[in-house]
Amino acid sequence: MDSEKKKKMNRRTFLKGAASTAIAGSAALTTGCKGKGLLGSSEAIALEFQEYFKKHYRLMTQTERDETIARLERIAKLKQDVDIDIDSTGPQENVLYGYAFNVTRCEGYMECVKACVKENNLDRASNTQYIRIFEMEHGQMSPDQGDGKYFHMVPKEGHFYMGVQCFQCNNPPCVKACPTKATWKEPDGLVVVDYDWCIGCRYCMAACPYWGRRFNWNQPQVPKEKITKKQHYLGNRRRVRGMMEKCTFCIQRSRKGKVTACVEACPTGARVFGNLLDPDSEIRFVLDNKKVYRLKEDLGTDPKFWYFID
Amino acid sequence: MNTSKFTKCLYYILPGLLIIFFAYTCFSSQEGVISRIKKATLKVDKTKQVDTAIPIPKNAVKANVQYQGGTFYTISRKSEMKRYKCSSCHNNKKVLIQNAADISHADIKVVHGDKDSPLACNTCHNQDNRDFLTTSKGSKIDFDHVYDMCGQCHFRQKKDWIGGAHGKRVTYWAGERVVENCTSCHDPHSPRFKKRWPATYSVPLN
Repeated sequence: MDSEKKKKMNRRTFLKGAASTAIAGSAALTTGCKGKGLLGSSEAIALEFQEYFKKHYRLMTQTERDETIARLERIAKLKQDVDIDIDSTGPQENVLYGYAFNVTRCEGYMECVKACVKENNLDRASNTQYIRIFEMEHGQMSPDQGDGKYFHMVPKEGHFYMGVQCFQCNNPPCVKACPTKATWKEPDGLVVVDYDWCIGCRYCMAACPYWGRRFNWNQPQVPKEKITKKQHYLGNRRRVRGMMEKCTFCIQRSRKGKVTACVEACPTGARVFGNLLDPDSEIRFVLDNKKVYRLKEDLGTDPKFWYFID
Repeated sequence: MNTSKFTKCLYYILPGLLIIFFAYTCFSSQEGVISRIKKATLKVDKTKQVDTAIPIPKNAVKANVQYQGGTFYTISRKSEMKRYKCSSCHNNKKVLIQNAADISHADIKVVHGDKDSPLACNTCHNQDNRDFLTTSKGSKIDFDHVYDMCGQCHFRQKKDWIGGAHGKRVTYWAGERVVENCTSCHDPHSPRFKKRWPATYSVPLN
Protein backbone atom coordinates (compact mmCIF):
# COMPACT_ATOMS: atom_id res chain seq x y z
CA MET A 1 0.00 0.00 0.00
CA ASP A 2 2.63 2.34 1.02
CA SER A 3 4.78 1.54 -1.97
CA GLU A 4 1.81 2.04 -4.30
CA LYS A 5 1.17 5.45 -2.86
CA LYS A 6 4.78 6.28 -3.30
CA LYS A 7 4.64 5.16 -6.90
CA LYS A 8 1.56 7.28 -7.59
CA MET A 9 3.19 10.25 -6.09
CA ASN A 10 6.21 9.61 -8.12
CA ARG A 11 4.32 9.48 -11.35
CA ARG A 12 2.43 12.62 -10.55
CA THR A 13 5.53 14.51 -9.74
CA PHE A 14 7.16 13.11 -12.80
CA LEU A 15 4.30 14.23 -15.05
CA LYS A 16 4.26 17.65 -13.45
CA GLY A 17 7.93 18.00 -13.97
CA ALA A 18 7.74 16.76 -17.50
CA ALA A 19 4.94 19.14 -18.40
CA SER A 20 6.67 22.15 -16.96
CA THR A 21 9.96 21.33 -18.66
CA ALA A 22 8.15 20.77 -21.95
CA ILE A 23 6.43 24.14 -21.70
CA ALA A 24 9.61 25.86 -20.73
CA GLY A 25 11.53 24.07 -23.44
CA SER A 26 9.07 24.85 -26.22
CA ALA A 27 8.83 28.45 -25.07
CA ALA A 28 12.57 28.73 -25.11
CA LEU A 29 12.73 27.12 -28.55
CA THR A 30 10.03 29.23 -30.12
CA THR A 31 11.20 32.48 -28.63
CA GLY A 32 14.69 31.55 -29.66
CA CYS A 33 13.64 31.41 -33.32
CA LYS A 34 14.16 34.65 -35.17
CA GLY A 35 11.08 36.28 -36.66
CA LYS A 36 8.60 33.62 -35.71
CA GLY A 37 7.34 33.95 -32.20
CA LEU A 38 5.36 31.57 -30.06
CA LEU A 39 2.15 32.83 -31.66
CA GLY A 40 3.13 31.92 -35.21
CA SER A 41 3.86 28.30 -34.51
CA SER A 42 0.86 27.84 -32.25
CA GLU A 43 -1.33 29.31 -34.97
CA ALA A 44 -0.06 26.71 -37.42
CA ILE A 45 -0.68 23.95 -34.92
CA ALA A 46 -4.19 25.22 -34.25
CA LEU A 47 -4.95 25.41 -37.97
CA GLU A 48 -3.62 21.93 -38.58
CA PHE A 49 -5.71 20.67 -35.70
CA GLN A 50 -8.81 22.22 -37.24
CA GLU A 51 -7.94 20.61 -40.56
CA TYR A 52 -8.51 17.18 -38.99
CA PHE A 53 -12.19 17.89 -38.50
CA LYS A 54 -13.20 18.94 -41.98
CA LYS A 55 -15.58 16.96 -44.13
CA HIS A 56 -15.15 15.13 -47.38
CA TYR A 57 -14.72 17.65 -50.19
CA ARG A 58 -17.95 16.69 -51.90
CA LEU A 59 -19.96 17.12 -48.70
CA MET A 60 -18.59 20.57 -47.90
CA THR A 61 -20.58 23.69 -48.60
CA GLN A 62 -18.85 26.49 -50.48
CA THR A 63 -18.23 28.41 -47.25
CA GLU A 64 -16.63 25.35 -45.68
CA ARG A 65 -14.47 24.94 -48.74
CA ASP A 66 -13.40 28.55 -48.55
CA GLU A 67 -12.58 28.13 -44.87
CA THR A 68 -10.38 25.10 -45.40
CA ILE A 69 -8.69 26.79 -48.34
CA ALA A 70 -7.97 29.84 -46.19
CA ARG A 71 -6.50 27.55 -43.52
CA LEU A 72 -4.34 25.68 -46.04
CA GLU A 73 -3.05 28.92 -47.51
CA ARG A 74 -2.23 30.24 -44.05
CA ILE A 75 -0.47 27.00 -43.08
CA ALA A 76 1.63 27.18 -46.24
CA LYS A 77 2.53 30.77 -45.39
CA LEU A 78 3.46 29.91 -41.81
CA LYS A 79 5.30 26.66 -42.42
CA GLN A 80 6.95 27.16 -45.80
CA ASP A 81 6.66 30.92 -46.22
CA VAL A 82 5.06 30.70 -49.67
CA ASP A 83 1.99 32.62 -50.85
CA ILE A 84 -0.09 29.99 -52.57
CA ASP A 85 -3.46 30.52 -54.16
CA ILE A 86 -5.72 27.49 -53.83
CA ASP A 87 -8.75 27.48 -56.04
CA SER A 88 -11.93 25.44 -55.88
CA THR A 89 -13.45 26.11 -59.30
CA GLY A 90 -16.09 23.52 -60.02
CA PRO A 91 -16.87 21.72 -63.24
CA GLN A 92 -18.50 23.70 -66.04
CA GLU A 93 -21.73 22.78 -67.76
CA ASN A 94 -21.42 20.97 -71.05
CA VAL A 95 -17.70 20.32 -70.74
CA LEU A 96 -16.14 16.87 -70.92
CA TYR A 97 -12.38 16.81 -71.15
CA GLY A 98 -10.74 14.59 -73.71
CA TYR A 99 -7.20 14.02 -74.82
CA ALA A 100 -5.55 12.68 -77.93
CA PHE A 101 -1.95 11.65 -78.40
CA ASN A 102 -0.34 11.57 -81.83
CA VAL A 103 1.92 8.53 -81.89
CA THR A 104 3.45 9.60 -85.20
CA ARG A 105 4.44 13.07 -84.02
CA CYS A 106 5.91 12.31 -80.59
CA GLU A 107 9.71 12.34 -80.76
CA GLY A 108 10.37 11.39 -77.15
CA TYR A 109 11.84 14.71 -76.01
CA MET A 110 10.08 14.37 -72.64
CA GLU A 111 9.41 18.08 -72.28
CA CYS A 112 5.89 17.12 -71.18
CA VAL A 113 7.22 15.10 -68.24
CA LYS A 114 9.39 18.00 -67.10
CA ALA A 115 6.52 20.48 -67.36
CA CYS A 116 4.16 18.12 -65.52
CA VAL A 117 6.54 17.67 -62.59
CA LYS A 118 6.89 21.42 -62.27
CA GLU A 119 3.22 22.25 -62.66
CA ASN A 120 1.88 19.60 -60.31
CA ASN A 121 4.46 20.02 -57.52
CA LEU A 122 5.54 16.40 -57.78
CA ASP A 123 8.02 14.90 -55.39
CA ARG A 124 11.53 15.67 -56.59
CA ALA A 125 13.21 13.29 -54.14
CA SER A 126 11.67 10.08 -55.48
CA ASN A 127 11.32 11.43 -59.04
CA THR A 128 7.56 10.96 -59.17
CA GLN A 129 6.15 11.47 -62.65
CA TYR A 130 2.57 11.21 -63.85
CA ILE A 131 3.54 10.78 -67.50
CA ARG A 132 5.65 7.98 -68.85
CA ILE A 133 6.98 7.92 -72.39
CA PHE A 134 7.72 4.52 -73.82
CA GLU A 135 10.14 4.00 -76.66
CA MET A 136 8.75 1.26 -78.84
CA GLU A 137 9.91 -0.53 -81.92
CA HIS A 138 7.83 -0.27 -85.04
CA GLY A 139 5.22 -2.99 -84.93
CA GLN A 140 4.79 -3.03 -81.17
CA MET A 141 1.40 -2.09 -79.84
CA SER A 142 1.38 -2.20 -76.07
CA PRO A 143 3.63 -0.09 -73.84
CA ASP A 144 4.52 -3.13 -71.71
CA GLN A 145 6.86 -4.11 -74.55
CA GLY A 146 8.38 -0.66 -74.82
CA ASP A 147 11.32 0.87 -73.01
CA GLY A 148 10.23 3.44 -70.44
CA LYS A 149 13.72 4.13 -69.11
CA TYR A 150 15.49 5.30 -72.25
CA PHE A 151 18.04 8.06 -72.03
CA HIS A 152 19.85 8.71 -75.27
CA MET A 153 19.55 10.99 -78.28
CA VAL A 154 15.98 10.95 -79.53
CA PRO A 155 14.28 10.14 -81.84
CA LYS A 156 15.98 6.80 -82.43
CA GLU A 157 15.66 5.20 -85.85
CA GLY A 158 13.06 2.49 -86.17
CA HIS A 159 11.27 3.54 -83.00
CA PHE A 160 8.20 5.50 -82.05
CA TYR A 161 7.17 7.02 -78.75
CA MET A 162 3.99 6.52 -76.78
CA GLY A 163 2.98 8.58 -73.77
CA VAL A 164 0.96 7.04 -70.96
CA GLN A 165 -0.71 8.85 -68.09
CA CYS A 166 -4.04 8.71 -66.29
CA PHE A 167 -6.69 8.23 -68.96
CA GLN A 168 -9.54 9.68 -66.86
CA CYS A 169 -11.71 6.64 -67.60
CA ASN A 170 -15.42 7.10 -67.88
CA ASN A 171 -15.86 3.84 -65.99
CA PRO A 172 -12.91 4.09 -63.62
CA PRO A 173 -11.92 0.92 -61.77
CA CYS A 174 -9.92 2.94 -59.23
CA VAL A 175 -13.05 4.70 -58.04
CA LYS A 176 -14.81 1.39 -57.48
CA ALA A 177 -11.85 0.04 -55.54
CA CYS A 178 -11.58 2.94 -53.10
CA PRO A 179 -12.92 1.94 -49.67
CA THR A 180 -13.27 5.51 -48.37
CA LYS A 181 -14.69 7.22 -51.47
CA ALA A 182 -11.64 9.46 -51.50
CA THR A 183 -11.50 9.32 -55.28
CA TRP A 184 -14.33 9.99 -57.68
CA LYS A 185 -15.20 11.16 -61.16
CA GLU A 186 -16.17 14.80 -61.51
CA PRO A 187 -19.03 15.74 -63.88
CA ASP A 188 -16.49 17.09 -66.40
CA GLY A 189 -14.82 13.70 -66.55
CA LEU A 190 -11.78 14.27 -64.35
CA VAL A 191 -10.99 11.56 -61.83
CA VAL A 192 -9.75 13.33 -58.71
CA VAL A 193 -8.56 12.48 -55.20
CA ASP A 194 -9.45 14.15 -51.91
CA TYR A 195 -6.00 13.87 -50.38
CA ASP A 196 -7.31 14.33 -46.85
CA TRP A 197 -9.74 11.48 -47.22
CA CYS A 198 -7.24 9.02 -48.68
CA ILE A 199 -6.01 6.41 -46.24
CA GLY A 200 -3.20 5.21 -48.47
CA CYS A 201 -4.40 1.63 -48.91
CA ARG A 202 -3.32 1.65 -52.59
CA TYR A 203 -6.29 -0.45 -53.72
CA CYS A 204 -6.84 2.04 -56.54
CA MET A 205 -3.24 1.62 -57.62
CA ALA A 206 -3.81 -2.11 -57.88
CA ALA A 207 -7.13 -1.64 -59.67
CA CYS A 208 -5.78 0.69 -62.37
CA PRO A 209 -4.83 -1.28 -65.48
CA TYR A 210 -2.81 1.65 -66.87
CA TRP A 211 -0.42 2.37 -63.99
CA GLY A 212 -1.98 5.81 -63.73
CA ARG A 213 -1.67 6.36 -59.98
CA ARG A 214 1.27 7.29 -57.83
CA PHE A 215 1.81 6.74 -54.13
CA ASN A 216 3.76 8.97 -51.78
CA TRP A 217 6.02 6.69 -49.82
CA ASN A 218 7.64 9.71 -48.22
CA GLN A 219 6.81 13.34 -47.66
CA PRO A 220 7.01 14.94 -51.13
CA GLN A 221 9.96 17.29 -51.40
CA VAL A 222 9.55 20.39 -53.54
CA PRO A 223 12.08 23.22 -53.28
CA LYS A 224 10.37 26.35 -52.00
CA GLU A 225 11.19 28.47 -55.03
CA LYS A 226 9.93 25.81 -57.42
CA ILE A 227 6.45 25.45 -55.93
CA THR A 228 3.68 26.25 -58.42
CA LYS A 229 1.58 28.76 -56.53
CA LYS A 230 -1.59 28.54 -58.57
CA GLN A 231 -3.13 25.44 -57.05
CA HIS A 232 -6.40 23.60 -56.91
CA TYR A 233 -7.83 21.78 -53.92
CA LEU A 234 -8.19 18.60 -55.97
CA GLY A 235 -5.05 19.11 -57.98
CA ASN A 236 -1.53 20.22 -57.23
CA ARG A 237 -1.84 21.36 -53.63
CA ARG A 238 0.53 20.01 -51.00
CA ARG A 239 0.36 16.27 -50.45
CA VAL A 240 1.74 14.44 -47.44
CA ARG A 241 3.22 11.04 -46.93
CA GLY A 242 0.99 8.02 -47.44
CA MET A 243 -1.55 9.28 -49.91
CA MET A 244 -2.36 8.61 -53.49
CA GLU A 245 -2.07 11.16 -56.24
CA LYS A 246 -2.66 11.16 -59.95
CA CYS A 247 -2.86 13.17 -63.13
CA THR A 248 -5.96 15.37 -63.12
CA PHE A 249 -5.46 16.89 -66.59
CA CYS A 250 -4.04 19.85 -64.61
CA ILE A 251 -7.41 20.64 -63.03
CA GLN A 252 -6.06 24.01 -61.85
CA ARG A 253 -5.40 24.94 -65.47
CA SER A 254 -8.11 23.16 -67.44
CA ARG A 255 -10.97 24.54 -65.37
CA LYS A 256 -9.65 28.03 -66.07
CA GLY A 257 -9.73 27.35 -69.80
CA LYS A 258 -6.03 26.59 -70.19
CA VAL A 259 -4.57 23.53 -71.84
CA THR A 260 -2.71 21.13 -69.57
CA ALA A 261 0.97 21.71 -68.84
CA CYS A 262 2.03 18.74 -70.97
CA VAL A 263 0.14 20.07 -73.99
CA GLU A 264 1.63 23.51 -73.58
CA ALA A 265 5.15 22.10 -73.24
CA CYS A 266 5.00 19.65 -76.13
CA PRO A 267 7.44 20.90 -78.77
CA THR A 268 6.01 18.75 -81.56
CA GLY A 269 2.29 19.29 -81.08
CA ALA A 270 1.67 15.60 -80.49
CA ARG A 271 -0.84 16.29 -77.75
CA VAL A 272 -4.39 17.51 -78.32
CA PHE A 273 -6.66 18.55 -75.49
CA GLY A 274 -10.18 19.90 -75.55
CA ASN A 275 -13.88 19.64 -74.88
CA LEU A 276 -15.42 16.45 -76.21
CA LEU A 277 -18.91 17.96 -76.16
CA ASP A 278 -17.96 20.83 -78.44
CA PRO A 279 -18.42 19.57 -82.01
CA ASP A 280 -15.95 22.16 -83.33
CA SER A 281 -13.11 21.35 -80.95
CA GLU A 282 -9.74 19.96 -82.03
CA ILE A 283 -10.26 16.75 -80.14
CA ARG A 284 -13.50 16.13 -82.00
CA PHE A 285 -11.74 16.79 -85.30
CA VAL A 286 -9.19 14.14 -84.39
CA LEU A 287 -11.86 11.63 -83.43
CA ASP A 288 -13.82 12.30 -86.61
CA ASN A 289 -10.96 12.38 -89.12
CA LYS A 290 -8.09 10.30 -87.77
CA LYS A 291 -7.45 6.67 -87.08
CA VAL A 292 -7.78 6.49 -83.34
CA TYR A 293 -7.53 3.75 -80.78
CA ARG A 294 -7.60 3.47 -77.03
CA LEU A 295 -5.34 1.44 -74.83
CA LYS A 296 -6.81 -1.81 -73.44
CA GLU A 297 -10.26 -0.87 -74.65
CA ASP A 298 -11.45 -4.43 -74.12
CA LEU A 299 -11.36 -3.89 -70.35
CA GLY A 300 -14.41 -1.67 -70.58
CA THR A 301 -12.86 1.20 -68.65
CA ASP A 302 -13.90 3.62 -71.41
CA PRO A 303 -10.90 5.97 -71.22
CA LYS A 304 -11.11 9.54 -72.50
CA PHE A 305 -7.61 9.35 -73.97
CA TRP A 306 -7.11 8.38 -77.61
CA TYR A 307 -4.00 7.57 -79.57
CA PHE A 308 -3.96 8.53 -83.23
CA ILE A 309 -1.72 8.31 -86.21
CA ASP A 310 -1.27 10.83 -89.00
CA MET B 1 -49.07 -28.69 -48.89
CA ASN B 2 -48.94 -25.01 -48.15
CA THR B 3 -45.18 -24.94 -47.93
CA SER B 4 -44.71 -26.74 -51.26
CA LYS B 5 -47.00 -24.22 -52.93
CA PHE B 6 -44.92 -21.46 -51.39
CA THR B 7 -41.67 -22.95 -52.68
CA LYS B 8 -43.25 -23.40 -56.10
CA CYS B 9 -44.15 -19.75 -56.04
CA LEU B 10 -40.58 -18.89 -55.11
CA TYR B 11 -39.29 -20.75 -58.15
CA TYR B 12 -41.16 -18.28 -60.33
CA ILE B 13 -40.55 -15.16 -58.29
CA LEU B 14 -36.81 -15.50 -57.81
CA PRO B 15 -35.82 -15.85 -61.48
CA GLY B 16 -38.22 -13.06 -62.28
CA LEU B 17 -36.55 -10.79 -59.75
CA LEU B 18 -33.16 -11.78 -61.13
CA ILE B 19 -34.20 -10.85 -64.66
CA ILE B 20 -35.61 -7.52 -63.47
CA PHE B 21 -32.42 -6.79 -61.55
CA PHE B 22 -30.25 -7.73 -64.51
CA ALA B 23 -32.27 -5.59 -66.90
CA TYR B 24 -32.10 -2.71 -64.44
CA THR B 25 -28.34 -2.88 -64.14
CA CYS B 26 -28.02 -3.14 -67.91
CA PHE B 27 -30.11 -0.10 -68.73
CA SER B 28 -29.38 2.11 -65.75
CA SER B 29 -25.60 1.93 -66.21
CA GLN B 30 -24.02 5.23 -67.19
CA GLU B 31 -23.72 5.84 -70.89
CA GLY B 32 -20.33 5.50 -72.50
CA VAL B 33 -18.15 8.34 -73.70
CA ILE B 34 -18.66 7.53 -77.37
CA SER B 35 -22.44 7.76 -77.20
CA ARG B 36 -22.19 11.01 -75.25
CA ILE B 37 -19.89 12.43 -77.89
CA LYS B 38 -22.19 11.34 -80.68
CA LYS B 39 -25.13 13.04 -79.01
CA ALA B 40 -23.25 16.31 -78.57
CA THR B 41 -23.84 17.90 -81.96
CA LEU B 42 -25.10 21.30 -80.87
CA LYS B 43 -22.79 24.24 -81.41
CA VAL B 44 -21.14 25.51 -78.24
CA ASP B 45 -20.53 29.20 -77.60
CA LYS B 46 -16.74 29.09 -77.47
CA THR B 47 -16.41 32.23 -75.39
CA LYS B 48 -18.67 30.89 -72.64
CA GLN B 49 -17.23 27.45 -71.97
CA VAL B 50 -15.43 28.61 -68.83
CA ASP B 51 -16.18 31.42 -66.42
CA THR B 52 -12.85 33.18 -66.83
CA ALA B 53 -12.37 35.66 -69.63
CA ILE B 54 -9.80 34.45 -72.11
CA PRO B 55 -7.55 37.01 -73.79
CA ILE B 56 -6.28 36.86 -77.34
CA PRO B 57 -2.50 37.31 -77.45
CA LYS B 58 -1.23 40.58 -78.87
CA ASN B 59 0.83 38.91 -81.57
CA ALA B 60 -2.11 36.92 -82.94
CA VAL B 61 -3.54 37.63 -86.37
CA LYS B 62 -6.79 36.47 -87.87
CA ALA B 63 -6.19 33.56 -90.23
CA ASN B 64 -7.58 33.91 -93.74
CA VAL B 65 -9.07 30.43 -93.68
CA GLN B 66 -11.89 29.08 -91.53
CA TYR B 67 -11.96 25.99 -89.37
CA GLN B 68 -15.09 23.94 -88.62
CA GLY B 69 -16.05 26.48 -85.93
CA GLY B 70 -15.52 29.65 -87.94
CA THR B 71 -12.69 32.15 -87.88
CA PHE B 72 -9.56 31.58 -85.82
CA TYR B 73 -6.31 33.31 -84.97
CA THR B 74 -2.72 32.34 -85.47
CA ILE B 75 0.57 33.66 -84.14
CA SER B 76 2.12 36.37 -86.26
CA ARG B 77 5.42 35.56 -87.95
CA LYS B 78 6.44 39.14 -88.61
CA SER B 79 6.57 39.91 -84.88
CA GLU B 80 9.12 37.14 -84.43
CA MET B 81 11.36 38.17 -87.30
CA LYS B 82 14.26 40.18 -85.98
CA ARG B 83 15.02 42.19 -89.12
CA TYR B 84 11.65 42.71 -90.68
CA LYS B 85 11.04 44.71 -92.90
CA CYS B 86 13.29 43.01 -95.39
CA SER B 87 13.03 45.94 -97.77
CA SER B 88 14.95 48.12 -95.34
CA CYS B 89 18.10 46.39 -96.68
CA HIS B 90 16.83 44.76 -99.85
CA ASN B 91 16.41 47.93 -101.85
CA ASN B 92 18.43 49.80 -104.43
CA LYS B 93 20.64 51.54 -101.88
CA LYS B 94 24.18 50.38 -101.45
CA VAL B 95 25.29 48.50 -98.32
CA LEU B 96 28.60 49.18 -96.63
CA ILE B 97 30.91 46.22 -97.03
CA GLN B 98 32.04 46.19 -93.34
CA ASN B 99 28.55 45.27 -92.24
CA ALA B 100 28.12 42.61 -94.85
CA ALA B 101 29.17 39.69 -92.66
CA ASP B 102 26.74 40.63 -89.91
CA ILE B 103 23.75 41.29 -92.02
CA SER B 104 24.09 38.66 -94.71
CA HIS B 105 22.09 35.46 -94.43
CA ALA B 106 25.14 33.20 -94.51
CA ASP B 107 24.03 31.46 -91.32
CA ILE B 108 20.95 30.04 -93.02
CA LYS B 109 21.35 26.47 -94.16
CA VAL B 110 18.51 25.13 -96.22
CA VAL B 111 17.64 21.53 -95.35
CA HIS B 112 14.23 21.53 -96.96
CA GLY B 113 12.98 19.62 -99.95
CA ASP B 114 14.68 16.81 -101.84
CA LYS B 115 18.17 15.83 -100.75
CA ASP B 116 19.40 16.06 -104.33
CA SER B 117 17.51 19.19 -105.25
CA PRO B 118 16.78 21.27 -102.12
CA LEU B 119 14.59 24.32 -102.28
CA ALA B 120 16.13 27.58 -103.43
CA CYS B 121 15.54 30.92 -101.68
CA ASN B 122 13.29 32.02 -104.52
CA THR B 123 11.02 29.02 -104.17
CA CYS B 124 9.47 30.68 -101.16
CA HIS B 125 10.73 34.27 -101.06
CA ASN B 126 9.31 36.77 -103.49
CA GLN B 127 12.08 38.15 -105.67
CA ASP B 128 10.35 41.37 -106.61
CA ASN B 129 9.04 42.37 -103.20
CA ARG B 130 11.23 41.05 -100.42
CA ASP B 131 8.65 41.78 -97.74
CA PHE B 132 6.54 38.93 -99.02
CA LEU B 133 6.69 35.25 -99.76
CA THR B 134 5.61 33.83 -103.06
CA THR B 135 3.41 31.03 -104.28
CA SER B 136 4.57 28.70 -107.02
CA LYS B 137 2.45 30.79 -109.37
CA GLY B 138 4.12 34.02 -108.35
CA SER B 139 1.49 35.73 -106.22
CA LYS B 140 2.48 37.39 -102.94
CA ILE B 141 1.91 35.84 -99.51
CA ASP B 142 2.20 37.77 -96.27
CA PHE B 143 4.72 36.34 -93.77
CA ASP B 144 1.96 36.11 -91.14
CA HIS B 145 -0.01 33.80 -93.40
CA VAL B 146 2.91 31.50 -94.04
CA TYR B 147 0.59 28.47 -93.75
CA ASP B 148 -0.74 29.32 -97.20
CA MET B 149 2.74 28.86 -98.57
CA CYS B 150 3.65 25.69 -96.67
CA GLY B 151 0.26 24.26 -97.57
CA GLN B 152 1.10 24.26 -101.27
CA CYS B 153 3.18 21.12 -100.79
CA HIS B 154 2.12 20.09 -97.28
CA PHE B 155 -1.57 20.29 -98.06
CA ARG B 156 -2.40 17.32 -95.84
CA GLN B 157 -0.70 18.96 -92.85
CA LYS B 158 -2.46 22.22 -93.63
CA LYS B 159 -5.82 20.49 -93.60
CA ASP B 160 -4.97 18.89 -90.25
CA TRP B 161 -3.69 22.19 -88.93
CA ILE B 162 -6.93 23.97 -89.82
CA GLY B 163 -8.96 21.20 -88.22
CA GLY B 164 -6.76 20.80 -85.15
CA ALA B 165 -4.92 17.49 -85.55
CA HIS B 166 -1.62 19.16 -86.46
CA GLY B 167 -0.06 21.98 -84.49
CA LYS B 168 -1.41 23.18 -81.19
CA ARG B 169 -3.48 25.72 -79.35
CA VAL B 170 -1.76 28.62 -77.62
CA THR B 171 -2.24 28.29 -73.83
CA TYR B 172 -6.05 28.06 -73.83
CA TRP B 173 -8.41 25.32 -74.99
CA ALA B 174 -11.43 27.58 -74.44
CA GLY B 175 -12.26 30.97 -75.85
CA GLU B 176 -11.38 32.18 -79.31
CA ARG B 177 -9.25 29.64 -81.10
CA VAL B 178 -5.62 30.75 -81.27
CA VAL B 179 -3.17 28.27 -82.78
CA GLU B 180 0.55 28.27 -83.33
CA ASN B 181 1.69 29.09 -86.84
CA CYS B 182 3.80 26.67 -88.91
CA THR B 183 6.92 28.68 -88.16
CA SER B 184 6.28 28.74 -84.39
CA CYS B 185 7.52 25.16 -84.17
CA HIS B 186 9.30 24.51 -87.48
CA ASP B 187 12.35 26.37 -88.68
CA PRO B 188 11.24 27.10 -92.25
CA HIS B 189 14.77 26.60 -93.57
CA SER B 190 15.20 23.17 -91.97
CA PRO B 191 11.77 22.14 -90.78
CA ARG B 192 12.53 18.67 -89.46
CA PHE B 193 12.92 18.45 -85.66
CA LYS B 194 16.49 17.93 -84.55
CA LYS B 195 17.85 14.89 -82.79
CA ARG B 196 18.62 15.80 -79.21
CA TRP B 197 18.72 14.61 -75.61
CA PRO B 198 15.44 14.21 -73.77
CA ALA B 199 14.60 16.89 -71.20
CA THR B 200 14.50 14.42 -68.33
CA TYR B 201 14.44 10.69 -67.64
CA SER B 202 12.19 8.21 -65.87
CA VAL B 203 13.09 5.89 -63.07
CA PRO B 204 11.67 2.36 -63.01
CA LEU B 205 8.21 2.21 -61.50
CA ASN B 206 8.92 -0.75 -59.28
